[in-house]
Amino acid sequence: MKINILIAGILLSTTALFAQVTKPIEMPYVEYPIEAGDHDEIVQQYCLTCHSFGYMLNQGKKSRPYWTGTVAKMVNEFKAPIPKEDQQIIINYFVKHYGYESTTGH
Amino acid sequence: MDQFSRRNFLGAGLVLGASTLFGKEAVKPIVTEAKPFVPPMIAFPEKKPMKTISDRPPLLESSRDIFTKAITPNDEFFVRWHMPDIPTYIDLSTFRLEVKGSVKNALSLSIDDLKSKFEPVEITSVLQCGGNSRKYFAGSGPATHGVQWGHGAMGCAVWKGARLKDILNMAGVNATAKYVGVNGLEKPAIDETPIFFREMGIDEALTDELIVAYEMNGEDIPYLNGFPLKLIIPGHFSDSWVKMLSEITVMDEYRKSFFMDVAYTVPDNDCECVISGSDFEYKRKPIAQMKVKSVIGYPTPNSVIKKGSRINVSGVAFDQGKGIKEVMISLDGGKSWSATSLQKDYGKYAYRLWSFSWEPKTKGEFSIMVRAINRIGNIQPLPGDIGWNAGGYQYNAVDVVNVKIV
Repeated sequence: MKINILIAGILLSTTALFAQVTKPIEMPYVEYPIEAGDHDEIVQQYCLTCHSFGYMLNQGKKSRPYWTGTVAKMVNEFKAPIPKEDQQIIINYFVKHYGYESTTGH
Repeated sequence: MDQFSRRNFLGAGLVLGASTLFGKEAVKPIVTEAKPFVPPMIAFPEKKPMKTISDRPPLLESSRDIFTKAITPNDEFFVRWHMPDIPTYIDLSTFRLEVKGSVKNALSLSIDDLKSKFEPVEITSVLQCGGNSRKYFAGSGPATHGVQWGHGAMGCAVWKGARLKDILNMAGVNATAKYVGVNGLEKPAIDETPIFFREMGIDEALTDELIVAYEMNGEDIPYLNGFPLKLIIPGHFSDSWVKMLSEITVMDEYRKSFFMDVAYTVPDNDCECVISGSDFEYKRKPIAQMKVKSVIGYPTPNSVIKKGSRINVSGVAFDQGKGIKEVMISLDGGKSWSATSLQKDYGKYAYRLWSFSWEPKTKGEFSIMVRAINRIGNIQPLPGDIGWNAGGYQYNAVDVVNVKIV
């Protein structure tokens, strides 16, 4: 897993912990691995607007209905402005790289 | 119902379930090359390295060994935000808590106001995410939606602050007021995304135990845990423990919102679970009071222990505030149970540490199981018996840790 230099610096300087925040905190940036191909650039463009890729990796391999439901939740509930054709690209990407085709018909 | 028949039972519901919004996952499929995601250990500001499920919004999980302590240190306390836009600096000279809406005098309170104009109160209470332990639902039923937390989305701290009741009384709640809404400074990336807004009934808001906290374990609240103010609702899941609390809105009418009416809800029936069909065919209710639970802190899963050595099996137990009566332990897969010794009582909303001295005399694999019961007889279900809900909320089945004796 790649972690950028900023984080490496934070890992090294982690001994002193102070409760009072006196200046802006520096949030680490984590480069979660993202499988390339099948229009991952479209996946990244929409999904990473609101959250890191860790959210998806954390789900484990999931079925087509699962990923379809998840994308629908992002669009319907969280109002992600994803056009229909791009929604389908995103679902296909996750089924292929982080899931499986379900044959149970639900 | 045993584990096997329950799985079939839930599976039968899938056909009806269809791919609804939080549609159910199929009965366990065969997946090849399943590479489980291992979150990197990263130190965020004011935190030791923690399991980083996400950096944006930050989702940081505590390690299991934290459950050998009655009080969770601030720098190891879990972190869960909903929105990506969190201010990276709060200037206390300009920060104000606004109290507004259906009140006689709207208030704009600084942290100094909160510390000087109200009686300070302290309470020791567990803070647990409604989705804590969610990943364990996969062991006894279909997969659930949401962050697949282990047990590490909970902690216990001493909270100090002003009573919400005292603040509301200073503002003077109108006789017509029925609800209190709370929100903090986190913001979504897109304007249209619903904000993290939570509501409670006015009666609940006026109870003694709710606190607007400015201290956690004797320090300022860590930034990622909600500096400078956090709402404390002892005995309740953390969903309304708003971080960076900035607005308290007294309302005459309930305001419908995603985070009250859709997220953090379970079927509105006795088991708060899906009996058949799809989860979302049920009338919903928000999760609220926590359920009796115990977790093993030591040993951790897959520990290798030498035969004949004496170890102190230990962990924490808590409930919704009725108090833990007993924590039982089984070392033979649940056939026989023994009492553990309960340690110091830090109050009815706090962790109760328990421990059990064990001297394994035979080699082999052992399953350690613990089961808590509270003073009103609520007992943890066995893993195969826990009621299932699609959101994966309120997991409280008996904890199991497998170890090897060599």
